[in-house]
Amino acid sequence: MMRVLLEVKPRKKPLLPIEAECITPASFLEERDLTVWKGNRELMLSNVFNVSVTGEVDSVDGVEVVLRGETSRIKRVGEYMEGGRIIIEDDIGMHCGNFMSGGRIEVHGNAAAWLGREMRGGEIICHGDAGDYCASGYRGEKRGMRGGRVEVCGNAGDFAGEHLSGGSLIIHGDAGDFPGVEMRGGEIMIFGDCTRACGNMTGGRCHVFGTVHEMLPTFRNMGEVVHEDTGQVLTAFRGDVANRGKGNLFVGNYQYME
Amino acid sequence: MSELLVKNAYVIDPVNGINGEVMDIAIRDQWIVEEVGSGAMVIDAKGQLTLPGGIDSHTHICGTKVNFGRYMSPEDMRAGRMPRRGSMHATSGYSVPTTYGNTYRYSTMGYTTLLEGAMAPLEARHTHEEFTHTPLQDTMANTLFDGNWAIMEAVRDGDMRRVAAITAWTLSAVKGFAIKLTNPGGTEAWGWGEDVTCIHDQIPHFEVTPAEIITAMITANEMLNLPHSVHLHCNNLGKPGNYTCTLDTFDLARDLNKNRQTLYATHVQFHSYGGSSWKDICSKSEEITRSLNSKPHIVFDMGQVLFGRTTTMTADGPMEFNLYRLHHNKWSNHDVELETGAGIIPVLYRRSNLVNSIMWAIGLELALLTDDPWQCCLSTDSPNGAPFVRYPEIIAMLMSRRYREEEMSSVHPGTEHRVPLPAIDRELDWEEIAIMTRAAQAKALGLIDIGKGHLAPGAEADIAIYPIQIRDVDPSVDYMKVKEAFATTAYTIKRGRVVARQGDCVVDGINSTIWVDPQVPPEYDISNDPEFVKKFDRYYTVRMRNYPVQDVYLERQVCLRPEVSL
Repeated sequence: MMRVLLEVKPRKKPLLPIEAECITPASFLEERDLTVWKGNRELMLSNVFNVSVTGEVDSVDGVEVVLRGETSRIKRVGEYMEGGRIIIEDDIGMHCGNFMSGGRIEVHGNAAAWLGREMRGGEIICHGDAGDYCASGYRGEKRGMRGGRVEVCGNAGDFAGEHLSGGSLIIHGDAGDFPGVEMRGGEIMIFGDCTRACGNMTGGRCHVFGTVHEMLPTFRNMGEVVHEDTGQVLTAFRGDVANRGKGNLFVGNYQYME
Repeated sequence: MSELLVKNAYVIDPVNGINGEVMDIAIRDQWIVEEVGSGAMVIDAKGQLTLPGGIDSHTHICGTKVNFGRYMSPEDMRAGRMPRRGSMHATSGYSVPTTYGNTYRYSTMGYTTLLEGAMAPLEARHTHEEFTHTPLQDTMANTLFDGNWAIMEAVRDGDMRRVAAITAWTLSAVKGFAIKLTNPGGTEAWGWGEDVTCIHDQIPHFEVTPAEIITAMITANEMLNLPHSVHLHCNNLGKPGNYTCTLDTFDLARDLNKNRQTLYATHVQFHSYGGSSWKDICSKSEEITRSLNSKPHIVFDMGQVLFGRTTTMTADGPMEFNLYRLHHNKWSNHDVELETGAGIIPVLYRRSNLVNSIMWAIGLELALLTDDPWQCCLSTDSPNGAPFVRYPEIIAMLMSRRYREEEMSSVHPGTEHRVPLPAIDRELDWEEIAIMTRAAQAKALGLIDIGKGHLAPGAEADIAIYPIQIRDVDPSVDYMKVKEAFATTAYTIKRGRVVARQGDCVVDGINSTIWVDPQVPPEYDISNDPEFVKKFDRYYTVRMRNYPVQDVYLERQVCLRPEVSL
């Protein structure tokens, strides 16, 4: 097994974002110089991190990358990752796990916006909160997460799972406004509350075990069902009728906007 | 005074009848001259193919519609990203790039003059502002008259002089170059929730037909003696069976001008479909080209489709709505008061799709079945058929049957039964390509007299040197070399200066906008016509005095002032 420890060096301006799409397990298998961008300046990875590598492996699946220190402004970690593990001991910046297709990312703190954007496969676990647009598609894109699994142990921001078309997104806390908006496939489980769930959805399934506030009126009430795993009684909806959608939305409680 | 000598150039200059002569080209300031002094800077072309600068006679690069395409497709901006380099600005975008993306890519392909395909008069300022930021080409704007209320009323009243007067004032006010009719009357009908299916349908509230608008505008165009002819996007675009409408439209044009065509039909590929539905759609390129071959007074551009992602944009609002119903993706629809409209959707042309494959074949067939290359301009109606950066692929396919066969083998298998392309042996030669990419455009746009599209002394020094020794290349076999050569020039010279070299743009450049100001006698100045002024004030949301585009919007300009015969 190969273990790569990346410890952020003290920075004079720690709020300046760093674009670090090179931080993937596969990058450390190759003997090449890795660079990151700070604004329009390209820096060696070692200028930003203390890098220590132990062990050797042949396959990306045996690589574990650990990020330590103030990483809340480090962006695009794990982009296009295909295998291996990334463990982030604190918070992580935007776009963590963009387009990843395999492997696992574990975030022990909070994740900023766009966590797991357009991911194809693999797994992301965020032990804290996730920002807006978790597992969604980027601006203009028709499809968000297509496969894999994202689990958020805390709350998620607005637009979680926007354009979701595959895979599963599990949020243990609350989701913000418009979770699952424009979703066309895949599955979302929200164990807390949210507002205006699944607007314009055309396919897929979304469970909200708490309360949906400002429930959209364009979903057809199909009656009550009992959720197999939890035994909770949920109200089943189908829609979004406004978009000729055939998605399934199950909610514990709901309140229409007054 | 600056002097430049291009030595050992293998020149093809169809306007001057030069087809493959090794010669030197002398340049003083921005003009080609007989000779220059011994102190002139020298570029050794080393026998490489040297052509007049490329001219695109129908492309969408600037204006509100293009910009709408940019901001409704932020995902398009993920492609084509280039950081700032030397004198080049940062660029992004693929099918609807930033203005600098357009100008650099065109310049590295050897293009020096562009005609924006459609400018809504009311929104002309935006087009001119973006022209200013397209510094490595000279630009012109087709001006939309397809749903102009004042013109439709004049057509209804049968007053051709009034049609000409309104056209002249509008062109002059918005600093436009030519008359563009996009689905004449159709977009206006669409504004009332209706549509026209062909040239003899009535347009609601105006009691005129597209045929009457087209005929009147051709007449007005010749009265105004404009450098270009009417530039027509026919009715009924993109519908199976529309070729009959196209043939009827061609029959409307009479040969009225001895120097150039009377009608320029744009993106004819989209108007050459047979069949009665998407299930039995087929190519009618043979019928269309038979008509075109018998009508030398019509020039057209291909509107070639190539497979891949792009954005469609046109003033043909109803057509875009039909496309939206097929694709169910994003759609933008836009009305321009009293004048025209626009629609935009992103599309993906797939090889595996039968309709898309037939469209691909038709474009090539049109070029290959047209006897006279001066009648056929190479275009994709960029970005509607494909972004212009793919022109080299089209050139290579037109020059190589083998390349076409290779491509044909990867398209939808049902295609070959519905198109004549597999039976066409013709392979275009270098001169024909030179005609279809610059000389025919210069002639059709009426630009030869101002020094565009040729290399004789007196011409503007717009030159493209392509890195290919054509005597050593058989394009029917080495088509990849052809494609590569036309993608990136060794040198692009614009107005006597090297502006691009081996893919890098080396100067900031300055755009020049060519526009027309017909010299209308005072009695036909429509801005003094009480009826016109009254209706303008009543219906437009802008004041008439604020309507014309001020000179400040044009960094550098060439104003053509044709003498009119009203």
